[in-house]
Amino acid sequence: MAVTLTPAGSTARRPRPARDRHHRGVSRWVVLALVTLGALVMLVPFAFMLLNAFKSPGDYSTGGPLSWPSEFYTKGLRTYWSEVDFPLKLWNSTLIAGSVAVLGVVVSLLNAYALGIGRVRGRLWIVGLFLLANMLPQEALIYPLYDAAKQVGLYNTRLAVIIIFTVIQSAFGTYLLASVLSTFPRSLLEAAALDGASRWTVLWRVVFPNLRPTLAVLLIFFFIWTWNEFLIPLVMLIDNSTQTIPVALASLQGDRLMDAPTTNAGSLISLVPAILFFLIFQRTLARGITAGAEK
Amino acid sequence: MGRIRRLVAAVALAATATTTIAACGGDEGGDGSDAKTLKLWHYESANSAMGVAWDRAIQIFKDEHPGVEVQFERKAFEQIQQNAGMIINSSEGPDIMEYNKGNATAGLLSSQGLLTDLTDEAEKRGWGDKLSPSLQTTARYDDKGVMGSGNWYGVPNYGEFVMVYYNKDLFDKYGVTVPTTLDEMTRAMDTFVSKGVTPLAEAGAEYPAGQLFYQLALSKADRAFVDDYQLYKNPVDFKADPLKYGAETFADWVRKGYVAKDAASLKAEDMGTAFISGKAPMIVSGSWWYGRFKDEIRFNWDSFLFPGNKLHAGSSGNLWVVPANSKAKSLAYDFIDITLRPEVQALIGNNGGVPVAADASQISDPKDKKLIENFNTVSQQDGLAFYPDWPVPGYYDVLVSGFQGLINGSRTPDQVLDAIAKPYADGVKEITGK
Repeated sequence: MAVTLTPAGSTARRPRPARDRHHRGVSRWVVLALVTLGALVMLVPFAFMLLNAFKSPGDYSTGGPLSWPSEFYTKGLRTYWSEVDFPLKLWNSTLIAGSVAVLGVVVSLLNAYALGIGRVRGRLWIVGLFLLANMLPQEALIYPLYDAAKQVGLYNTRLAVIIIFTVIQSAFGTYLLASVLSTFPRSLLEAAALDGASRWTVLWRVVFPNLRPTLAVLLIFFFIWTWNEFLIPLVMLIDNSTQTIPVALASLQGDRLMDAPTTNAGSLISLVPAILFFLIFQRTLARGITAGAEK
Repeated sequence: MGRIRRLVAAVALAATATTTIAACGGDEGGDGSDAKTLKLWHYESANSAMGVAWDRAIQIFKDEHPGVEVQFERKAFEQIQQNAGMIINSSEGPDIMEYNKGNATAGLLSSQGLLTDLTDEAEKRGWGDKLSPSLQTTARYDDKGVMGSGNWYGVPNYGEFVMVYYNKDLFDKYGVTVPTTLDEMTRAMDTFVSKGVTPLAEAGAEYPAGQLFYQLALSKADRAFVDDYQLYKNPVDFKADPLKYGAETFADWVRKGYVAKDAASLKAEDMGTAFISGKAPMIVSGSWWYGRFKDEIRFNWDSFLFPGNKLHAGSSGNLWVVPANSKAKSLAYDFIDITLRPEVQALIGNNGGVPVAADASQISDPKDKKLIENFNTVSQQDGLAFYPDWPVPGYYDVLVSGFQGLINGSRTPDQVLDAIAKPYADGVKEITGK
């Protein structure tokens, strides 16, 4: 890919392909400028959030969202932290999103192994069904889910949310992994079979190691998606002690009034765990995205 | 081998599920005179008038019921708004909670049998005497869930009404006095316009525009109109006064520049901050702003009743309701009773709220006192006319889009009235079956 961009004109002083990043001409700087601009545009909302998180409500109302705060106001942050009992919500969110990420990946892998490598009859239909289940709007599912959870006694428990999201996320995971696995090199599988490996051994010793980068990305996506979910946790978790961070954030919005600075402060605190998570795993993410490209 | 592990996993999952069921299926209570806990939910913020007053009420309740544990949780408005039905239809719900008044909320749940009938308690404890008739309207619902008559299903603690907030400094600067009639109000606004100031901040994208229209219509209305419009006593003609007058006057106000054309896309928050920042001399909006204005405004300001009107948009505030599944009903009744006591009611008033059963003489701050006196005047002359979007489900959006068109000049009053008449008629037909 990168080689095609190299200007092959006679102006190049040396025959060496332009690997040297300082000699690639003007277009490189243009691209860099555009990317920087794009990054800045992306950062603007965060800048606003940061600006308003440290502004007092009165300051916000008189000066508007763009003004510079007249004092460094941290009461919003503290109010949010203590009023919603943030550490507890953080634990709930982590527990739910973490469990869903791990369970979802395991279920997806098992399903996909059966569909992609096991070559179950009618697998195309099954995969299609999974995709459909994934695309169904959550609003349509909410009443049946509520009823089912109530009848098995899981309403208002974190387990209910974990089970629901494990199913929802693994529907997508199954779809994705099944198509990945259907292109899995047959020769590898046959070699393993010749060595007398059972299906289980093939999964763990042959398929799993090869899929690890993809699974890691899936894990991270499941975690972040589940972390950000709002509607199902809102409906299923009614006690303050079981609620997740997005639901806690919603408690700052009143009937007719809103408290913009505190909402900003809350968003800021709520965003920190997600950013930390991303920073820790970004290497894995990048590796996973390019994993398939090198073949 | 794989099969065995999968089986083990399934059994493990089933086992966890059953233990949770066993853990949940514990206590089933009767009317709960011997209950030892009261699970109480509301969604007012801790420093709001209601938050402060109800904290005190909880304290009084604890003092009077030693040995009873109060499990209070502050909920998100959104959560109660969206899920109240699901929550109280389960055994996990509260014993008493704050809930929104109106046909689509408390009315709907009462008609589904999810709320406890409070009529006997209301009679026994004299709640009916403490609340004026127009406040009781939102506390009582018939078997179809239509407010205004039937059994008590909720008890309001505070009221709300739409008034005019004004910037005293700007009034003084431009030599404008507080108007007492609609004509004087128009003249006052003319003065501002002639000085290049838009007198009225508005918000076309949310409730304020609909409320201004309603307020204007009410200036030509009587109680019979409100009963027709809100309680479906008789069909309402949108092409006749008072609604016609309301829409035409609104359009007139826009044309004369009392309301800025770009207000069509503004939200209530924008309108509020325009007033707080001292840019707008006046806004027409509800008492829910009062506490915030008191905290945040640095200039001199005050409020007056919409000039000349006998009827005002407004109602009781949200209600205390006792879910049918409540395990501590008699404790819940005791708590409601405490919230109506003068001490708690005065706390609402002294913190910038509008108590329903307060003695204005107990309110210390003169501005608060005036607010409560104004409300008491309205309430006692049976002047609360509810809100324009109440009669039929989904009407809020109809009104917003209608008056957005009126403010930005894309529709005539006639077209707006047509646009809002049909959804109203359809909705009423669905509710009453006529």
